[in-house]
Amino acid sequence: MPASRDFRRTALAGAAVAAALTASAIVVACGGSGGGSGASAKLSVTDSYIPLPAGASGDDSMAAGYLTVRNTGGAADTLVRVSSPGAGSVSMHQSTDTTMREVDSLPVPADGTLQLSRGGTHLMIMGWQKPPAVGDQLELDLTFAHSGTITVEVPVKPLTYRPGS
Amino acid sequence: MKFLSSRRRAAGAATLALTAALALTACGSGTTKSAGPVAVVSQQAQNSPYQGTVLAKHFDKPDLVLTDTSGQPFDLRKQTAGKTTLLYFGYTSCPDVCPTTMGDIGVALQKLPADQQAEINVVFVSTDPQVDTPKVLRTWLDSFNKNFIGLTGDLTTVKAAAQSLGILVEDPIVNKDGTVTSTHGAQVLAFQPSDDKAHVVYLSDTSTATFEHDLPLFAKGVAA
Repeated sequence: MPASRDFRRTALAGAAVAAALTASAIVVACGGSGGGSGASAKLSVTDSYIPLPAGASGDDSMAAGYLTVRNTGGAADTLVRVSSPGAGSVSMHQSTDTTMREVDSLPVPADGTLQLSRGGTHLMIMGWQKPPAVGDQLELDLTFAHSGTITVEVPVKPLTYRPGS
Repeated sequence: MKFLSSRRRAAGAATLALTAALALTACGSGTTKSAGPVAVVSQQAQNSPYQGTVLAKHFDKPDLVLTDTSGQPFDLRKQTAGKTTLLYFGYTSCPDVCPTTMGDIGVALQKLPADQQAEINVVFVSTDPQVDTPKVLRTWLDSFNKNFIGLTGDLTTVKAAAQSLGILVEDPIVNKDGTVTSTHGAQVLAFQPSDDKAHVVYLSDTSTATFEHDLPLFAKGVAA
């Protein structure tokens, strides 16, 4: 009987390890849609932040969002949509010398980065369910053409914040 | 009159072309860094103590009377005479470039002692006067610095003043989602008190460090 109990315990532990392995395998697959071939995108999102918008606070606040998408895979991907459960609309914009224009998609090069940064490509976040405050986090769901959706919690930072400062 | 206006336009076009060329250079040298290379080149070429781009043509301060954030008329020439004046055209519902530029100047200015801060006027002229009432402007500018001057009023007047400085300002466009996009040159012009003319320009990708370097020089009246 004790031997059998031991066996059962070992089997359960083994099953748990297997389950954990499966889970981590799924995470990898989500990030890069099937590794091994070397010709797929492997994406991660870093340095995301939302500077607290200037001016009137309220649900009509218009905020910019910045982040970096890193692709360590051998294939390019494209950011096709950004949404948030906490905001009415999130759109992608490019600032030029004199104005800004909305874009439908943004390329993530193979073995490269897509950088959304001040004065360049940025997200425009409107229709906040709750007026943004420093320290809040906003969920952003980034949908890519090949890699599916990556969800990030983006912190609201002071107005003049810069990454690394 | 006609001659004067076409000359002004030509000068404006030349500045725009210069700005575009500099911006392209900056893009070509990588997107992660700010206008460093541009500033360095201009510094070496012109041997100026300033890191901003030193202007070959010294624009006159525009003869501009608009409404300030207390609702009173504000005569730009009269009320900023004798002090360094940083002039910027923009709009408050601009999420990216305008708050970044105003924030950079605000951060740099706050690092100066109070008496030096008092030597520098920062003037923000609205390119979207319908939305940017004196009250809206004040609330927005207070996020950066309570002493920043905000001006709003007749857009035709604003466009003419901007054009005399080679800065493009167009009528705002209302997008289908109700937001407004304003097309405006995003450079900051620095007028010096020695002659109340513009001597240095900062393009939209100027870093905070450049303003931190240059503002103390302005406060001390160093010639560009």
